[in-house]
Amino acid sequence: MEELDGEPTVTLIPGVNSSKKQMCFDWGPGEMLVCETSFNKKEKSETVPGCPVIYIIRKDVDVYSQILRKLFNESHGIFVGLQRIEEELTGKSRKAQLVRVSKNYRSVIRACMEEMHQVAIAAKDPACSRQFSSQVTILVLQGRLDEARQMLSKEADSSPTSAGMCRILGDLMRTMPVLSPGTTQTLTELELKWQHWHEECERHLQDGTFASSPHLESLCKIMLGDEAALLEQKELLNNWYHFLVTRLLYSHPTVKPIDLHFYAQSSLDLFLGGESSPEPLDNILMAAFEFDIHQVIKECSIALSNWWFVAHLTDLLDHCKLLQSHNLYFGSNMREFLLLEYASGLFAHHSLWQLGVDYFDYCPELGRVSLELHIERIPLSTEQKALKVLRICEQRQMTEQVRSICKILAMKAVRNNRLGSALSWSIRAKDAAFATLVSDRFLRDYCERGCFSDLDLIDNLGPAMMLSDRLTFLGKYREFHRLYGEKRFVDAASLLLSLMTSQIAPRSFWMTLLTDALPLLEQKQVIFSAEQTYELMRCLEDLTSGRPVHGEPDAQRLQDDDIETTKVEMLRLALARNLARAIIKEGSLEGS
Amino acid sequence: MVSVINTVDTSHEDMIHDAQMDYYGTRLATCSSDRSVKIFDVRNGGQILIADLRGHEGPVWQVAWAHPMYGNILASCSYDRKVIIWKEENGTWEKTHEHTGHDSSVNSVCWAPHDYGLILACGSSDGAISLLTYTGEGQWEVKKINNAHTGTGPSHHKSPSLQIGCNAVSWAPAVVPGSLIDQPSGQKPNYIKKFASGGCDNLVKLWKEEEDGQWKEEQKLEAHSDWVRDVAWAPSIGLPTSTIASCSQDGRVFIWTCDDASGNTWSPKLLHKFNDVVWHVSWSITANILAVSGGDNKVTLWKESVDGQWVCISDVNKGQGSVSTSVTEGQQNEQ
Repeated sequence: MEELDGEPTVTLIPGVNSSKKQMCFDWGPGEMLVCETSFNKKEKSETVPGCPVIYIIRKDVDVYSQILRKLFNESHGIFVGLQRIEEELTGKSRKAQLVRVSKNYRSVIRACMEEMHQVAIAAKDPACSRQFSSQVTILVLQGRLDEARQMLSKEADSSPTSAGMCRILGDLMRTMPVLSPGTTQTLTELELKWQHWHEECERHLQDGTFASSPHLESLCKIMLGDEAALLEQKELLNNWYHFLVTRLLYSHPTVKPIDLHFYAQSSLDLFLGGESSPEPLDNILMAAFEFDIHQVIKECSIALSNWWFVAHLTDLLDHCKLLQSHNLYFGSNMREFLLLEYASGLFAHHSLWQLGVDYFDYCPELGRVSLELHIERIPLSTEQKALKVLRICEQRQMTEQVRSICKILAMKAVRNNRLGSALSWSIRAKDAAFATLVSDRFLRDYCERGCFSDLDLIDNLGPAMMLSDRLTFLGKYREFHRLYGEKRFVDAASLLLSLMTSQIAPRSFWMTLLTDALPLLEQKQVIFSAEQTYELMRCLEDLTSGRPVHGEPDAQRLQDDDIETTKVEMLRLALARNLARAIIKEGSLEGS
Repeated sequence: MVSVINTVDTSHEDMIHDAQMDYYGTRLATCSSDRSVKIFDVRNGGQILIADLRGHEGPVWQVAWAHPMYGNILASCSYDRKVIIWKEENGTWEKTHEHTGHDSSVNSVCWAPHDYGLILACGSSDGAISLLTYTGEGQWEVKKINNAHTGTGPSHHKSPSLQIGCNAVSWAPAVVPGSLIDQPSGQKPNYIKKFASGGCDNLVKLWKEEEDGQWKEEQKLEAHSDWVRDVAWAPSIGLPTSTIASCSQDGRVFIWTCDDASGNTWSPKLLHKFNDVVWHVSWSITANILAVSGGDNKVTLWKESVDGQWVCISDVNKGQGSVSTSVTEGQQNEQ
């Protein structure tokens, strides 16, 4: 049974104190709503109306931090690069690659830290500059002996009494053996040299070389790794791990990694001195010094306020094959679990969510479904954003989401009377039913106004026209108008007729089509052939027979009113006349 | 790590009973004993009152947002036995439909997955569940399941006549049978519509729509010993399991899971036994966190861990001086 090491965190919602009231709550897409209520439903509420405030709460608020934003962006690039590293690389070259990734992460973190530092300094009172002695001490504590020596030589120049001591101490600083990269020196050789140097410092101390300057003597003690002397500088050291580093530098410079945790623990204990207890960050570091990967991940998950660090670290460790899988319900392993948490957090942000997409992509088990759930909830505040979201869904063949989003946009367009937009969204959604709906609206508009809107779109439907019968009809009907406009009357006429005979035209529209045929019937030249005229007549009689056609909407049924009757009369006359002319024309010889 | 990012002063004049975010988290709807339903725009940490909807004649118990593809539509249900559907047209919110088919308080409303169309389930204290389906041109078709929850089991109420009532309804997520196969465009996939309800007969019931369009009781889930106050069907995360959470007057919260595709065998797992009534359960959008309201003024968040055990991960507690003692008291995991 997975145990929680601590009690679950309690978050207090500020509100009216009352033992009678409870909290009602619900989830938003990325947050929780909480408010005071009383679940015991009674008709009248007995108590005074309580707190009428709704609290919106969220975790992952760090996602809104300006400074962290750069960190999120840059680490995203490194993450994606890491996922794409060639799997075939093995051995040294792979190791080198992974180390490079680690260094990249570290430099990004450092940049972020420096920025934060700048902000912190700017906020701090500039008037507190340190004394000279403190400055030198700090340099020695940080192992920056060259710089310390330079400061000391300046001191030597300005104060002849201590000049001698400064020079000697400076020499000691200069001669401290360090391991420099690229030398052929072995560790044993270094240790010997260092031992020798250490003894020389000790000798000076015993001889009282620096006795007349407490400051210099203290520095010498520090360089000897004297714990008491180091602890005196607690304030300048700041924290126990600086103390650890300084201590090891001047007492065990060749310490082995496996021994680190002993010194870490004792440094922690010495530094805190029983006055305070370790903080969560300390626990993380201790676990790190013990090279206990799982403990580090666990401590980070508990202590840190967002998943950024632990997600990226675990991912890198996984690539290094250092992580043993723990099978979890959510995510097949630890890595995926943490990445999912981190990516979910990114979706809370109006633009960082795009980074989250890539993280989900690299979660093989639940990444896709998580992405599907999250991406649908992104508010489509602008067309640009909607297109962006759609492109992401289309690239991943998330057809359900594409359909859903396009439908939402199409409906919105219809409500705002932007029919062209609605039509293109329904085409993109491959939603036949909706395309039919919008096409009907277009046709209705045409009947009312006598002209089409969004001609460009309808003219260039291409194969999309086939999505729905109604849409096909709309496209073809518009084509008819075009042909007519280009005076290609014979083609227009054939098309018009075929729209009715092929049943593509809705019955309700036939009257309009027949009326459109009128000018063609009354042209000087004969356009409709006799056969075609018979067809038209048949259509007209079909329409006027009065029988309601099953399934057709009532709305445009032939009405018994004068206008309709007149129209029908006119049509009958025109058709008869055309028939006569056509018969004559067809019965005559060529050239007549 | 959990912070209050916004507070919305609703100015309700009486107890608030429900608050719901819309699909995108940009709008908030609230309802109250003061008989009103209010809608706020809460983008970017703001709070702008968009609508103050009056129409109910009693305390309003719940509100529910429909899927955005149908526009901005909100349903509300009330002690006054009515369900009202509100719609935003040309920038103003208006009542678009009123359903009066129940004989007593309507306690719960829930919209079906948008794939099914615009369908609203309503559960009432008269023991019936009604289903409203939008058929177009402002028309709504009603189907009623009478006596959905009428029982004679034990309860905190002595009188058997008080064991009639449906307290909660929750839809199953849309799953297309054979959903791996791409549906040809233009053809409506054959969804099997299901929802769960919880009632005063101490039962959780699962309902299924038959081919003839009638609703039939498919399953009875029995485990509670008192009124079921809330049910919540978890969103689908692509796994073949179905999960339902139920909570009850008996202080228990159960997680019901069904593994097989046919949806026949449901097994309950006790999440926790609380000291008091548990009123409300709710799944987060990605279904991995369950929020539970205990009767002890807390909202606890639960997550399933490595070995299938449910673990409490966080507490959300109303402010009260030194909380530490009361927190540890309420914390005992009695699994």
